[in-house]
Amino acid sequence: MTHLSRYTCEEAFRRLDDYLDHELTPEETALVHEHLETCAGCAREFNFEASVLRGVRAKLRQIDLPESLQSRILDVLNDRR
Amino acid sequence: MSDEPGNVMEAVPSGQSVTAQVTPLARDDFQALLVEVLPAAYGYALRLTRNRADAEDLVQDAALRAFRAIATFEAGTNFKAWTFRILTRCFWANHRRRQRRPNTVDFDDTPDLYLYARSAEHGLPWQGEDPARLLIDRLGTERVAAAIGELPEEYGVVCTLYFMEDFAYHEIADVLEIPVGTVRSRLHRGRKMLQKALWCVAEESGIVTELTPREGDA
Repeated sequence: MTHLSRYTCEEAFRRLDDYLDHELTPEETALVHEHLETCAGCAREFNFEASVLRGVRAKLRQIDLPESLQSRILDVLNDRR
Repeated sequence: MSDEPGNVMEAVPSGQSVTAQVTPLARDDFQALLVEVLPAAYGYALRLTRNRADAEDLVQDAALRAFRAIATFEAGTNFKAWTFRILTRCFWANHRRRQRRPNTVDFDDTPDLYLYARSAEHGLPWQGEDPARLLIDRLGTERVAAAIGELPEEYGVVCTLYFMEDFAYHEIADVLEIPVGTVRSRLHRGRKMLQKALWCVAEESGIVTELTPREGDA
C-alpha cells in the first residue's frame, strides 16, 4: 500500500457518504480507511454518521404487515386469474 | 400501453421483439415472490402515504398492476426493485396529490454533520462508540418517520428507499427511474436535511432539553 497517496481530512470527508454506503472503489475505500486509522477527529465524525444511519434504519424498519392485507391481495389476484 | 415498469419496449433495441427479450414469470412464482416483498412494500407505502389505510390501498393497487404487467418482468431480475417501481408510480399517480403540505423546516444551507455539531454544542452525552444512538432511540420510530416526512418529496422518497431497504444507489435509480448521479446527490442532501429535521423534532418534543446536561450535573 506504499504507492497509495494519503487522503487529507477534506478528501476523506468528501467521500463520507459513499464510504458508509460501500459505493467507493476498493482503492478509495482503502484510502479512507487508512485516513480514519490515523485521524481520530475524522474517525469520530464518521462513527457518529454511521451511528445515525444505523439508528434511523432500525427505527424505520419496525413495521409489521397487517395480517389481513396479504390474504386480501392474494384473493384479489386469484379472482383475476 | 400502460406505464408500468417492465415496459421493455423502451429498452429493447429496434428490430428485436419483446418476447425474445423476456422470460415470463409463471403466475404461481409471481405470487411467491410477491409474498416475500409485501412486508417491505407495505413499509415503503406507509412511509410514502403516512397513513395505514392509504398504504394498504397503495400496496394492493401496486400488486394488481404488477400482476397485470407480469409478462414484462424478466425472471431472474430484481423483482423487489420492479415491484417498488410500480408502487412508486402508483403513489405518484394516485396518492401524492392528497399528501402535499408545506414543509415546516427550513432546509436551506443545512451544513454537513448537523446532528454531530448540534449534539456537541448542547453537550449531549456520548455513548461509547455509538454516540447518536441515545438521541435516535429517544426519538422513536414515529418521530423518526415524522422527520423523514418533513423532507421535500424528491428527497424524502430517496431517503425512504435508502433507509428502509438495502437498495444500492443503482437500485434506487432503477426504482425511481432517475440517474444514479441524481440518487447520489439527493441522498447526500437528503441525509443532511434529515439530520436537521431529526434535531428539530427532538427539540420540539423536549428530548434535547431532557438530554442536555444541566449545570451542576456531574
